[in-house]
Amino acid sequence: MALVDVHGLAFSYPGDEAPALADVSLRLEPGEVVALLGPSGSGKSTLLRALAGLVPHFHGGRFAGSVLVNGLDTRRSRPAALAGTTAAVFQDPEDQVVMALVRNEVAFGLENLGVAPGEIWPRTEEALDAVGASHLAERRTAELSGGELQRVCLASALALRPRLLLLDEPTSQLDPEAAERFLGLVAELGGTTVLSEQRTGRALGLAARVLFMEGGRILADAGKGDGLAWLAEHRSHYLPAQAHLERSEPRGEGVCRLNGVRFAYRGGPEVLDGASLDVRRGEIVALEGPNGSGKTTLAKIAAGLLEPAAGKVWRAGRAGYLSQDPGRYLVRDRVVDEVALAVGGDRARAKAALERVGLGWAAERHPRDLSSGERERLGLAAVAVAEPDLLVLDEPTRGIDPDRKAEIADWLTEYAAAGRGVLVATHDRTFPVDRRVSLGREALLAA
Amino acid sequence: MRLGSGRRAVRLAPVPAAALLAAVAAAALLMDSVLALAVLTAALLLLCTQAHARLRPYLFGTGTAALGLFLVWPFLQSTGIDVIWEGPIVPVLGQLDVTWEEIELAAVSALRLAAVGLAFSAYALLLDHDRLVASASFARHSALAVALATRLVPTLERDAGGLAEAVRGRGVKVDGVRGHARLLSPLVAGSLERAANLAEAMEARGFGAGVPTRAPGPAWAAADYAALAVGAALVLAAVLWL
Repeated sequence: MALVDVHGLAFSYPGDEAPALADVSLRLEPGEVVALLGPSGSGKSTLLRALAGLVPHFHGGRFAGSVLVNGLDTRRSRPAALAGTTAAVFQDPEDQVVMALVRNEVAFGLENLGVAPGEIWPRTEEALDAVGASHLAERRTAELSGGELQRVCLASALALRPRLLLLDEPTSQLDPEAAERFLGLVAELGGTTVLSEQRTGRALGLAARVLFMEGGRILADAGKGDGLAWLAEHRSHYLPAQAHLERSEPRGEGVCRLNGVRFAYRGGPEVLDGASLDVRRGEIVALEGPNGSGKTTLAKIAAGLLEPAAGKVWRAGRAGYLSQDPGRYLVRDRVVDEVALAVGGDRARAKAALERVGLGWAAERHPRDLSSGERERLGLAAVAVAEPDLLVLDEPTRGIDPDRKAEIADWLTEYAAAGRGVLVATHDRTFPVDRRVSLGREALLAA
Repeated sequence: MRLGSGRRAVRLAPVPAAALLAAVAAAALLMDSVLALAVLTAALLLLCTQAHARLRPYLFGTGTAALGLFLVWPFLQSTGIDVIWEGPIVPVLGQLDVTWEEIELAAVSALRLAAVGLAFSAYALLLDHDRLVASASFARHSALAVALATRLVPTLERDAGGLAEAVRGRGVKVDGVRGHARLLSPLVAGSLERAANLAEAMEARGFGAGVPTRAPGPAWAAADYAALAVGAALVLAAVLWL
């Protein structure tokens, strides 16, 4: 008997005319690992939520068809009743953490499910151990990095011993090595797993089956071999990309130079210890390094948002900075006003910037009505509209589908070609750049 | 909460630890002896150092308030005969002078404030709040709301910083009360969005599924009973002798 049986599923969110899911049917057998691919807004997250019972119970909306998970009809069983059979890890770990201490966080789900008190701590320890996070047990969740929190969220899911594990871009905040380890753990679990990822190489490396969604429909549902062939023929951007080769020599007139920069956050250890960096006009420079290596800090110093404790910073002209997760930091009630903020309310320039990132249609909408991928592009437009000489972007491809990523890369190439410098702090080695510099844990940077 | 360090450290369960800190704060408010207050404050400061860097804002707030009180107090009092400084006559306030008695009263008040502030700092920084509120065997949902509110304060703080930084990153200055006040509405909107996402994640983790159980807390050790006794004794001593 299939673990999951979805038949003729259609769903629209409240107030939306366009369906988020349309005529979706699929069966998942025990032990299957499925890569769920597709562009932003294609319905991947909605499908995962439907499998967890959160659609329609939590979100409301119009629901047709049926979803059976382990024999339970999700229309009749609330998500809480499905918990334990299913477990989900969503994209942003900060939005999932309930408790103040890590071990209490992992125990939270077990307590909710009524697990015998004597079993709770052993299962908590077992789950933390499985994700290599035993050392975090006594730490406060508020003090953990995004990568550490993602591991804690996975431990919280694993502690429930679910038959169906639903992962919605669970490695979006991890560096490549940590992401590999994370997915390696998932592979070892052996349960049924549905993994939605925008960095498709990771998901395809793990999965035996590929689902591709677009416009709320499943366009392809095949084993790995046939799935890859389908992608090669129809959606080649989704095939695992090779690391982008780049020119190695700096060129052009300098726009930003950091020399021997040191920095420590108040009361914390030194994050940067003598880092140096050189960005020239006309080039895109990638700033790489593992989680916690100081990429964001160095990017903020380059943009003038932080002052180093020691070292020299030289910048020609203005700098603009796009933070990680910019969709969370939107401050105006209309999309066009959000972009116009940086240009003294010039709506004509704002609309032109929105057109360039493909959001001209959304000018009069509320920014929080946009999807997460659209918000990322809105953030980019809001920073780039003022055409700063140095554009600093922190993880701009997080949560962006391969098609949009290619568009952003083209756009940034044009931006740099106009005589400006671009610095991109990223884990994404497939993002095309002119030069890469690595920021190791020892915080020494080779420019 | 841990008392001491190394192998000889004693770990207290959340309830006795909270009771001890409450007793210490109450005793500080009841004491009049400068020496006893100074010892109590020093002991609390030593305890709080376990929190390392996280202590800084608490220490800054407590220290500034206590020092400010110590400096201002003598000028608000007019007591004592042992004058050590005689100042000018100020309209409304009258003659400004400082006596040894006023200095002593100022020290008592400042140390009381410091002790209460540090007791709160220890409560905020060192206690397992999750288990403390879970110890309430009634009103589980309300207790969870308290735990969530505690956890979301630093998140809110980070979001406020992120909003200001996002605006500054676009070359727009965020100055003064008005500039920051404009970020209040998006901060609230972002918090509501977070709350909705969190509620969804909680439901997916079985919240409200049925009758929950509770992970067993650590059994009370002799140190926990001793902490309760010490707390009670401290309050009694403060009332009777200190």
